[in-house]
Amino acid sequence: MRVVIHGLTKEYVTGKGNIRALGGVNLEVRDREFFGVIGPTGCGKTTLLNIVAGLQKPTNGSVEFVGEKRTQAMVSMVFQDAALMPWRTVDRNVPLGPEFRGDAKPMYQRVTQFFLEMVRLLDFSSAHPNELSGGMKQKVALARALANDPEVILMDEPFANLDAQTRLLLREELLRIWERDKKTVILVTHNIEEAVMLCDRIAVMSAAPGVVKNVITVDVRRPRTLKSMSDPDFVRCLEKIWDLLRYEVDKAMRENHPSADPTLQEKQSRRNYFGWW
Amino acid sequence: MNEAVTARPIKISERGWGGGSRRKVTLGRILFGIGCLAIWQWAHARLGTEWIAGPAEILGRAAELARTGELWVHVWVTFGEALLGFLIGGSAGVLLPFLLRLSPRLTRALDPYLAAAMGVPKLSLAPLLILWFGIGLMSKVVFVGALVFFLLFFNGLAGVQSVDSRLVSMARVAGGREWVITREIVWHTALPFIFAGLKVALPRAISAAVVGEFIAAEAGLGYYINNARSMADTVGIFTGVVLVTALVIVVNGALELVQARSLAWRPVDRDMVV
Repeated sequence: MRVVIHGLTKEYVTGKGNIRALGGVNLEVRDREFFGVIGPTGCGKTTLLNIVAGLQKPTNGSVEFVGEKRTQAMVSMVFQDAALMPWRTVDRNVPLGPEFRGDAKPMYQRVTQFFLEMVRLLDFSSAHPNELSGGMKQKVALARALANDPEVILMDEPFANLDAQTRLLLREELLRIWERDKKTVILVTHNIEEAVMLCDRIAVMSAAPGVVKNVITVDVRRPRTLKSMSDPDFVRCLEKIWDLLRYEVDKAMRENHPSADPTLQEKQSRRNYFGWW
Repeated sequence: MNEAVTARPIKISERGWGGGSRRKVTLGRILFGIGCLAIWQWAHARLGTEWIAGPAEILGRAAELARTGELWVHVWVTFGEALLGFLIGGSAGVLLPFLLRLSPRLTRALDPYLAAAMGVPKLSLAPLLILWFGIGLMSKVVFVGALVFFLLFFNGLAGVQSVDSRLVSMARVAGGREWVITREIVWHTALPFIFAGLKVALPRAISAAVVGEFIAAEAGLGYYINNARSMADTVGIFTGVVLVTALVIVVNGALELVQARSLAWRPVDRDMVV
């Protein structure tokens, strides 16, 4: 499934006037591509992802999914922190998608087992989330996203809250899983290394209002592992992105734009779910 | 992948520096109880029955009331009023936050009015309610209901508003309907808050019924206490108070059993009171 984003803008209405979070984003994510979006804080990366997920409405422009739908769901999301249901055990957290859609229980139990085995957490099926480490929780969230059986997986800084070593491990794990059954992935991150290690192509965004500055193709051979990080191609790509990004990061830091305020974004998105009243 | 399971809450006794600690606690508890009774008995002996009724007298009175059957009538009346009011006010108080969730704008618009309604001292409404609903069961049920409603409503609202918005987003992306999201996510998030509200509301429901009976009633523990007061029957007042307390303790115990079962997933029993 290709994702075609055309002329996407998003404006937030605040007391101090309108804030332009996205200023006309054009992107085409190819079928079965691991696509990265990188940019400074407050460049509207998360907004972009929410719009693709259908959680927020764009002010202008469109998001189209082009291609034959081969799966049950269109998108799955993985958030910065796992956002599991603490009152449910791991094996009841994973099948959120199929269960909420109304699939038959025996079927989604099989699916749950399959994906828990894939993320190597089958032993923890009956544990509650508060008994798991941060990395394990994030793996459960990944299994949940996969069990939803989507065409496109949207990841919003999925490893940002983990310690450096766990992050490395989970990156490898994610690569291993992705190589098995290539799905279209859109990964939002502010970690350049992570983007280069995982992605086929990376869109570099400018500071608010966010627009795509450049799309970089990552020429590092697959399958990639931790060792790929010392590959000359890897380093070259890293430098290229940083050259594009440093000016934007500096600009974002100095302006300290209010659209970086997450509570504002959350309020806005809530308004969109419920409409007026 | 070698990741350690984060520690479950460790009981102090598992750590090894409190082998006999549980026994010591039990012993201390018993000693404290005996101490209290001793002070009570001493005050009783010092000041006389007309000021402070002694434990033995109260026990005797309670036994006598139980034999004549009067006790069960009073307890049953008070319990019935509290229970009915609790069920009506409680279910409304729990349900309404879930309905208000569907419209955050309406909730915000209503906010000052709800705060004002919360500010009305409910106990001062009792005379008015008796004027409207008479001195029978109805006025106490309404009184208890109003009190319980507000306690549960505000706790329930806090619970509903603390729902993890990402979880709801996820469920929506997965195609969950509003009803399924409410049942599977919002309800479970709000449950600890609701239990915290229940914990506060249950004893208050019984107190409210008793206060209602003080003002005007024909039966019930509050009626018994007030009646004893008018006849300068100190033993009767004390017996009434002890019976109300016993009723509250029994009801609280029942609640805690239910709570332990419903909230087994919570690692620590944190009370959530707003």
